[in-house]
Amino acid sequence: MAKVLIIDDDIDFRKACRIPLEAAGLEVSEAADPDTGFDKVSEEKPDLVILDVLMPSGYEGFNLARRIREELDLEDMPILMLSAVHELKKPPYRFAPDAGYLPVDAFIDKPLPPEALVRKVQEMLGLYREEPGEQL
Amino acid sequence: MRESDVVVVGGSAAGITAAITARRHYPDRQVLLIRKEEQVLIPCGIPYVFGTVGSPDKDLIPDAVLSKNGVELLIDEVTSLDRDKSTLTTAGGETVAYDRLVLATGSLPAMPPIPGFELENVFPVFKDVSHLRLMQESLEGVSDLVIIGGGFIGVEFADECRKALQANVSIVEMLAHCLMLAYDAEFCSKAEELLRQRGIAPVTGAKVERVMGQKSVEGVRLDNGETIPAQAVIVGIGATANVKLAESTGLPIGTTGGIVVDRTMRTTDRRVFACGDCAEKLSFFGGRPSALKLASIATAEARIAGANLYGTRRENIGTVGVWSTVIGDTAFATAGLTESVAERHGYNYVVGAAESINRHPGGMPGSHPMKVKLVFEKRTGVILGGQVMGDKAAGEVINAISACIQRRMTAEDIAMFQTGTHPALTASPIAYQFVNAAEAAIAAAQ
Repeated sequence: MAKVLIIDDDIDFRKACRIPLEAAGLEVSEAADPDTGFDKVSEEKPDLVILDVLMPSGYEGFNLARRIREELDLEDMPILMLSAVHELKKPPYRFAPDAGYLPVDAFIDKPLPPEALVRKVQEMLGLYREEPGEQL
Repeated sequence: MRESDVVVVGGSAAGITAAITARRHYPDRQVLLIRKEEQVLIPCGIPYVFGTVGSPDKDLIPDAVLSKNGVELLIDEVTSLDRDKSTLTTAGGETVAYDRLVLATGSLPAMPPIPGFELENVFPVFKDVSHLRLMQESLEGVSDLVIIGGGFIGVEFADECRKALQANVSIVEMLAHCLMLAYDAEFCSKAEELLRQRGIAPVTGAKVERVMGQKSVEGVRLDNGETIPAQAVIVGIGATANVKLAESTGLPIGTTGGIVVDRTMRTTDRRVFACGDCAEKLSFFGGRPSALKLASIATAEARIAGANLYGTRRENIGTVGVWSTVIGDTAFATAGLTESVAERHGYNYVVGAAESINRHPGGMPGSHPMKVKLVFEKRTGVILGGQVMGDKAAGEVINAISACIQRRMTAEDIAMFQTGTHPALTASPIAYQFVNAAEAAIAAAQ
């Protein structure tokens, strides 16, 4: 069973993610702050991390993504950045996955419908299969 | 409620081309283009606003291109899309009903989330006239400028700003060379040599770790510990698809962040199409997702989307990746795979290169060396890519190479090309670089 770690300071959001992910047969654990998240990634070696950006003292998720890649040397573990930073800060630009500056695999704005979250996570874990298309 | 058979959202390269194509293919249909910008910039001209062109007002796409083609224009921002009712609503309070919808919502510049990114005088490059005016004003008097990202946007900004500001300009690039995603190392080294000759410092293999300053930028610190003074930073690390409208209505988003479309540019909703920077792309080579965003790709996709609105007429073969840039009087052009990318993707390949003067005899006016390098699949001889370095004709030579790639021509086909040559215009028929590069590859494969 694939393990997903959710690092987000919003308990309601963690719960809203946990329910559909568990229903889809995934094992889910949680961390409410970046330091606990870092330790859990190191100890639990999840198959995928869902990572928030804005946690209590600022843009902590950005730094955590870099620390996971650099200090834990987890180059290939998928990180799904899921954040309301664009909605809250309304910058005229976007933060986007970048090999050097933002080493995550996908950046999606909150809120995300549960079925879209499950699909994205499964896709990133290589578990998602398209339904067969109609025959032309 | 306003109604139109076809509604296009977005007024830049993809939107305009999709609207015009729709009118050409379906002259009986009304086409309405909705865009939020009062004025639309020529996207590729933006770096030149800061030097050669001099002002954003001289880098505009005239609206006459729409009226001349019978496209109606509404300047307003689309705020929501209801696919069940086939309507859009705008910030100005209009509701617009469509029969077919084309999303051409473009992209937004990507910002590297390094500490200090919110300081004053850190400039992502927006395709927006007022932003460019402000940026231009803020750059006046700057004596040290750092550009983050050594792709073509970074290189073009560096060259233009150096010309206009006489400032110390540094380009910080993470990869081993500037322009490395588009060219092989020998071309990149030449580009870097030209940049240095023009007073620009390429700092490669380095990453900006922090933008320093209190309120405004004072410098950047690199991951190698070095610091570079700067009163302004221009960010040119790329762009990301603007899919807010599509995402809000549940249209699937692909792995590179674009709206998922099929080869007819149709989304999962049969009456909604997407094209340009906002649409997900697949590579011509191997069909992998491609994150390339170019106005020339956008317009090619728009010509497919616009033609397919009421029946499938065209299909997208995938992104080849064709573009060029120029440093001083030397142009660099690329199409398809470089040697290093071909190797990384597991192709068994062979290369051939040829360099000669672009005139015959060499004493003719305008003479300049031109080098062509071609990459072929070794067993079949099918062309995979090409790079050209030379005078400004490189920009069109690469388009001929691109045509060969798209038709999957072989080295033999190219070696037997019937070319037109002229003393004042091209290399001699004996030394013609494109053909001789193919011959060199054939010899190397034997």
